[in-house]
This record gives sequence, C-alpha cells and structure tokens, in this order.
Amino acid sequence: MGKYIIGRIVQIIITFFIVISIIFLMFRVMPSDPSSFLLTPSMTAEAKQTIRKQFGLDEPIAVQYVIYLKNFIHGDFGNSFYSGRPVMSIIMEKMLNTIFLSTTAVILSYLIGIFIGKAIAWKRGSKAEKFFVILGLWFYTTFTPWLGIMFLWIFAFKLKWFPLGGMITPEKWIFDPSLFEKICDLGHHLILPLITYVVLWFGSYLLLMRNSMLETLKEDYILTARAKGLKEKVIKNRHAARNAMLPIVTAFAISISFSIAGAVLIETIFSWPGIGRTIVEATLRQDYPLVQGAFAVITMVVLLANFAADIAYSYLDPRITY
Amino acid sequence: METLNYTLDKTEKKSLIRQIWDLAGRSTFIKLGVFIMLIFGGMAVLSPIWIQINPAIYDPIIGVDLSVNGSVGPSFKHPLGTDDIGKDLFSQLLRGSQVAFILGIMVSLISTTLGTTIGLFAGYYGKISDTLLMRLADIILTVPILPLLIVISGIFGTQSNWIILLILSFTFWPVTARVIRAQTLSLRERPFIESAKVSGISNTRIIVKHLAPNVLPIAFYYLTVTVTGAILVEAGLSFLGFGDPSNMSWGMMLQWCFVKGYVFKAPYWMIPPGLCISLLSFSFYLIGVGLEEIVNPRLKKR
Amino acid sequence: MDSVLEIKNLQMSYDTSEGPVSALDNVSFTIMAGEAMGLVGESGCGKTSLGMCIMKLLPGNAKITHGEIFFNGEDIVPKTEDEMRKIRWKGISMIFQAAMNALNPVYKVGDQIIEAIMAHDTIKKKEAKEKVSDLYKLVGIDPKRMENYPHEYSGGMRQRAIIAMALACDPKFIIADEPTTALDVIVQDEIIDEIKIIQKKLNMIMMYISHDISVIAETCDKIGVMYAGNLIEYANTLALFDNPLHPYTIALMSSFPSIEGLKTKLNPVPGEPPNLLNPPKGCRFYPRCSYTREICKNERPEFVEIETDHFLACHRGISWK
Repeated sequence: MGKYIIGRIVQIIITFFIVISIIFLMFRVMPSDPSSFLLTPSMTAEAKQTIRKQFGLDEPIAVQYVIYLKNFIHGDFGNSFYSGRPVMSIIMEKMLNTIFLSTTAVILSYLIGIFIGKAIAWKRGSKAEKFFVILGLWFYTTFTPWLGIMFLWIFAFKLKWFPLGGMITPEKWIFDPSLFEKICDLGHHLILPLITYVVLWFGSYLLLMRNSMLETLKEDYILTARAKGLKEKVIKNRHAARNAMLPIVTAFAISISFSIAGAVLIETIFSWPGIGRTIVEATLRQDYPLVQGAFAVITMVVLLANFAADIAYSYLDPRITY
Repeated sequence: METLNYTLDKTEKKSLIRQIWDLAGRSTFIKLGVFIMLIFGGMAVLSPIWIQINPAIYDPIIGVDLSVNGSVGPSFKHPLGTDDIGKDLFSQLLRGSQVAFILGIMVSLISTTLGTTIGLFAGYYGKISDTLLMRLADIILTVPILPLLIVISGIFGTQSNWIILLILSFTFWPVTARVIRAQTLSLRERPFIESAKVSGISNTRIIVKHLAPNVLPIAFYYLTVTVTGAILVEAGLSFLGFGDPSNMSWGMMLQWCFVKGYVFKAPYWMIPPGLCISLLSFSFYLIGVGLEEIVNPRLKKR
Repeated sequence: MDSVLEIKNLQMSYDTSEGPVSALDNVSFTIMAGEAMGLVGESGCGKTSLGMCIMKLLPGNAKITHGEIFFNGEDIVPKTEDEMRKIRWKGISMIFQAAMNALNPVYKVGDQIIEAIMAHDTIKKKEAKEKVSDLYKLVGIDPKRMENYPHEYSGGMRQRAIIAMALACDPKFIIADEPTTALDVIVQDEIIDEIKIIQKKLNMIMMYISHDISVIAETCDKIGVMYAGNLIEYANTLALFDNPLHPYTIALMSSFPSIEGLKTKLNPVPGEPPNLLNPPKGCRFYPRCSYTREICKNERPEFVEIETDHFLACHRGISWK
C-alpha cells in the first residue's frame, strides 16, 4: 500500500510538472513578445521593472523556466494585474467557494443517481426504467448554461423565489447580521445553482449505476445469494449494489475533470465567485498571472481528486492490494 | 466499462456490422435518436437555401434587416425573430446546426480513429509502448478541457474552429483508447488470434484483419458519444465568448442573448439555441446508449 | 423408504427472441431418503436447468410449463417466491462451482456463510460463527480462514468453503452442480471423496450433476442420463453399468473402460444434439441413433419402468436385445 501511494504521488508530481511546463511554453511561444502580455501600458516604469524581475523576462528562456518552476513550488504565482493582490490568495478564496458549491452538488447528485439507478436496474424492462433512462440521458446532455438560464428565468425572474445571482447579498452583510441570517442568505443564493448542478449531473451517475448494477446482477454470487434464501432487499443492497458501486468510483475520478467544465459554466451564469468564473474573467481581462495560477490549481485539484478516488477504491475492493 | 465484452454470435454468416444493423432497427433509443438527428441534418441542409432567399438579410454573419428596430419576436419574415441589431435568428440557428454537425462529427471521427488505433496497438504489443501510451492517456484525461481551451484562446487572443477541433480530437481519444485496449488484451488470448500468430501472418495484418473488426462495435459506441462531448464543449466555449468569431454557432447565439441582456426579455432568442444544442447532443447519446445495449450482452435482460 | 424428491412430467422452456426453447421435457424421477443420484449428459442437455428448476431459481425468461416437483411430499411448483425463500438452503441447498464467481468478492468468506445461517435460524452471531467453525473443520479448512476474502483462497479451498456453505443450514437435499470442474485432478479426487463421506455421514439426499460419468459412478447410488432436455434412462449405478439399454447410454458406456478407470470426455456419438427451438417430433435422439425404426421418427417414446427400478425412454425397449 505504502509503495503504491508513493508511486501515485510521483505520478501526480510528474503529471503536474508536465502540465505547468506546457503552460510555460504556451505563454512563451505566443505570436508576440511575452512581456507585452505581462506588462500593460498603464503600468509605471517601476512596476514594469518589478514584473520583469519577478518573471525574469530579461533572462534567457532556460533561466526563465527555472525561475518559473521555483516560483511555482513556493506557491508564488505573482500578483494579479487587475486587482494587484497576490494570485495565490485570490485563488484560495475562490477555490473555497467552488468547492463549497460543487462538492455539495456532486454528493447530492451521486446519492440521487445511485439510488434511482439501483432501483431501475432491479426493475429491468419496466416503464419506470425506460422513463428514468431517457430522463437521465436528457439532462446529462442538456446544455449547462441554457438550463441555468431557464431556471433563473422561471424561478428567479418570473417567480422571484431566488436571487438572480451571486453568493451573498452584500447589503445585508454590511450590518453584521447574526450567523443564522448569514446562513439563510447563503442558502438562499445556493439553492438555484445547486439544483441546476444536481439536475444536470444525477443522470450520469444514474446511467452508470444502472449499467453497473445490470452487469452485477448477472454475476454468479447473486445467484448464490438468491439460492441462500436471502431477502430481496439484502440481495439488492448488500450483494448487488455494493459491488456495482466499485466501477462508479473509478468513473467518478474521470468525471471530475469533466465536471470542472460544468463549474466554469454554472459559476458564470449564477455569478458565483468561484475559480471557474475567475479563470473566464481573468482571461477576458488578460490577467495572465491569475490565468496561469488558476489553471495550475484546477489541474492540481483534479489530480488530487483522482488520487483520492483511487485510495477510496482500494478500501472498497478487498481484491486490490497495492 | 473496462470489461465491455460483446459476444455477438460469431458463428453466424452475417458480419458483425450486419448483425448490429439488424438489431439497431429494433431499438427505440436508436430510432428516436436517428429521428432527431435527421431533423437537424435537414436544418443544416436548409441553411444555404434559406440564405439564398435574400443574402443581405438572411446571411447569418453579415446579413442585417435594417427595417427592424431592436430585437423583435417571430414574424413571417423572421420565423424566430431578430437579435438586437436586426439579424435573422432563424438563419443563425440553421448555420449553427451545420457547425455543430461538422465539428462534432469531425472531432469524433478523428479522436475515435486515434483512440481505436492506439488502443489496438497498445493492447496488442503490450510492454513499454503500452505503458507509455496509457500513461499519456492518463495525463490527458486529467487535463480540464474547457479551462484549457479558454486559456489557449486567451493566449492567442482569438479562437478558430480548427484549433478547437484539433484540441478536442487530441483530448478525447484516451477514453476510447482505454476501453479498446482492454478489449484487445482479452481478444489477444483467444484461439483465433493465437492461430493467426502461429500461421505466420504479420502483426499489422492480424491487427487490421482479425482484431479491428472485433473491436468495431465498441468503437461505434464511442463514435456517437464523442459527438455529444464535442458539441457540448464547443457550445460552452462559444457561450463564454471564446468561440470562433468568424462563424456563427448555437453557443454564440446564446452568448449574445446573455451579454446583451435579452435572456429574460426575449425567450424567442434564448430558448431555441440551447434547446438545439441539448437535443442534438441527446440524439447522438441516445444512439450510443442503444448501441451499447446491443454490443454489451451483460446489459441484456435476464 | 420414503421418497424425498419426486419429479413428475416436468416441462420447462425459455422464451427467446427466436421463440420458445424446450429446455426440459417429460422429466420424471424419484430420489429416496439417503440416496445420491447422479445426473449425466452433454453440456446444454438441461441438467443445470433441472437443478435450477428444483431450487426455482430460473431466469426471468424461463417458465415451468407443466409437471410437479414434490419435495418432502409438497409440490413446490406453485409456491411463491416468499415460500421458496424459506425452503432454499434449509430444505434444498446447492454446491456451486468454485470456478464460478459463487462467492461475493467483497465480503469475508466466513461472513457469507454466517449470513446464510442467520437468514434462516434465529440464533446469535456468535453461535453462527461457532457453527461455521465446525463446518470448516468438517470440510478440512482451518477455521481461522473464515476471516479471509475469497481471492485469498486457493481453488480447492474455495470449493471446500462452498461445500461448507451448502451445509450451513443442515439441508435435507443438496444439489451439486459440477462441483469439481476446473480443479486439478488430485484436488478433484479429494473433494469428491469429501462430498461422498459427508453425504453418507449427514444422511442427506444428493443430486450430483456432471458431464463426467466416471465421477458420478464413483459418488452416486443411482444414475440418470439426460439427452436434449429429456431424461432417457434412470437406474441404479450397477444396473446401468451392467445393462445399459438406451443407445445413447450404451455409447456412453462403450467409450468408458471401467468404473475406476480412465476419465473420458463425453462425446461418444457422432453428430450434434438437436436444436431445441425446434426439436425432432419423435425421439430427440433419432437423428444420431444407429438403431432407428419408423416409429422413432414420429412418436415420442414414453419414459417407463422397464425392469424394477430401471426406467427407459426408448421405443426399442428390451425387446431388441
């Protein structure tokens, strides 16, 4: 086990190294001089000098690369052009918001998807099965921003049940409300993006779980369980679902990198101050240090999530001994 | 999915493809999917014809109807209404169908061919080439595609559909490759491959003549679902404002509607493009799921 | 002696996309208390389907269309799933093939046996555990291995654990479905001896399914021969070996040197078994038989007691001998 974990960590470091090297190259093989992207005309000569020094733009490319790597290792991505704040602190703050929203959403859609997937696989060939498969497929392939806008239009604009966007109502927070009021306000903002996420995502888990469950139900140990005279519920949950979950955990790891795309789109629609929206805005503002940093951190999070899924898998499946 | 293991009746005279074709005709999923797909195919074909009616008004990129003032709702002249500067939304929608089809199918063809080839070679030759290719696949799978495309368009200042096509093709192949490789690994041990090896047939010939036909059904499945992925990513990118500005796409229509503040005012502008993106993706995925039910006997009814 | 299992005119078919497949037709036999019955036949002849019929563990597209299965004097064919659940494992249990994935890979083997006991008897987990420990000793595994997962067992050990599991609820009747296939010869012999000893010791009745007639001859008091969904001959082991009557049985015997002798693969007759989607109108063995008469083509032979305790389904009867 220890050996495996070390091996995986080495793999993560190598992958991360490759990705940030590609970022470095991308920012240097640009059509024009990289400094023109790092420096904006409005800067003072002093600021220009600081940045030149910070990124070592006066040095040869090999030296620049070493400096770049060194800065990365220290978590120093420089300062944002737009706000002047250190990139790292912006990213940490936004990342927290993203994790808050998307983790809740992933867990909810996972639970719902698995629950329905399990039930419809058991009722193979029924009308309910066909209905949920088509429903799951439809939402799985629905265009994220469109669904977000539709929900906003109906529930926020027409019915006025929810705010039109953001994470909090700033006016309410100026007067330092009680913790309860804060939580209520946050929850009020959270519901609509959360529902959008869950509606869009539960379908993929539902379909995966259904397929995995159908395959598991063909296994010999299910026949054994039936022959043993166990109750249906026990066979379904303890024997079939428990094994059907295993491939879902692996698929979960792969889906993380795809779900980042969802985060980018949903955060943009709902003006949620997360990392996905940050990378879009930073790119539009040509805030390159922030773009670099945000991309690196997103990649790192995906890598770590994959790693976590692998570890979880080894706990769920006793056959795996690393 | 790693163990996707189809066993259609190989003793039958009919080829695998033929058997799949026969079974596909009975699948509700596939029939529904093909039906929706054909509607959009019709729209794509209609696009140049519609423009010819009056290019000055109906060209999706440069055409403007100067007689309208601001965004107007559906009328006889503009079946879906116009945007805020008098561009015909219906012609944009038709062009969007064309773009989605071409991009989706091209990406899917390139990446599935790439993935199938790599999967076959990695699985058949094994050893170091296998390890290297699969590590590469793992690395590519962890790169978040949409942020990558955003960053690239940021760096180059502008985006083109060719770059999107290349990057999507290059980032989508690993999923196919992993599954095809797993399938090849199990096929490699089967007697008919063993006997082909013993009889001295060249490796390339074994792969092309004996292995490839057997992994084709799975490749078909990925061919269809990859189209969905490509359409959705391109739409997302365009929606965020990083699409190819020299063309029109559904994502871009929704983006204009969003940034110009018409999302709540003009449902005739907001609803159609998003619905089209979703429906076309849905149709390809339906076909994929229908195919999966056919080629994966473990999903068959008990 | 009492009959524990009595099957009368059993018919079962599978619904497939091409039409119904007649998997079992006109199967009748009786097993008396304390007896072990062997069922032999080529793969696909319906012997496993018969085992599944008796447990009523048929797949969704299979249906018992006719006949009765009396277990302890009660017909189980009309019984509901709920009633069957109580009979399974406690009344009728089954030894599965270890080569199959019969044990759930994610649970400890001991726990899977305890689970079976606790599903039927209201006893404490600790007592169930002690019982499993005794069963492990009976089949010759160290009880400590209860804490291991299936993948940590060797093939032979897994088979022993599966036997222990089958015995967990003190069943009256055990169906052993090819329990030694895919094990190496030495382990195979050990397991067969084990099963034989346990069956006599616990005085259960057993139905031993195999394609290998030598294994069956070694373990069973009676032998039933199946062909294409029909039971064609049923007699005491010695009687069958002394005096096989059905041409198919005779062919089986002739390719089989002696009871303790070499093990032979079972394909003694040239040709393929018939397609059960559209079985021959008369005798199902007709197309491969070398003693055919006109009647064999059109009329199905009845399964009748031709000598005491010797049943046969063949128009030839003993008359041709």
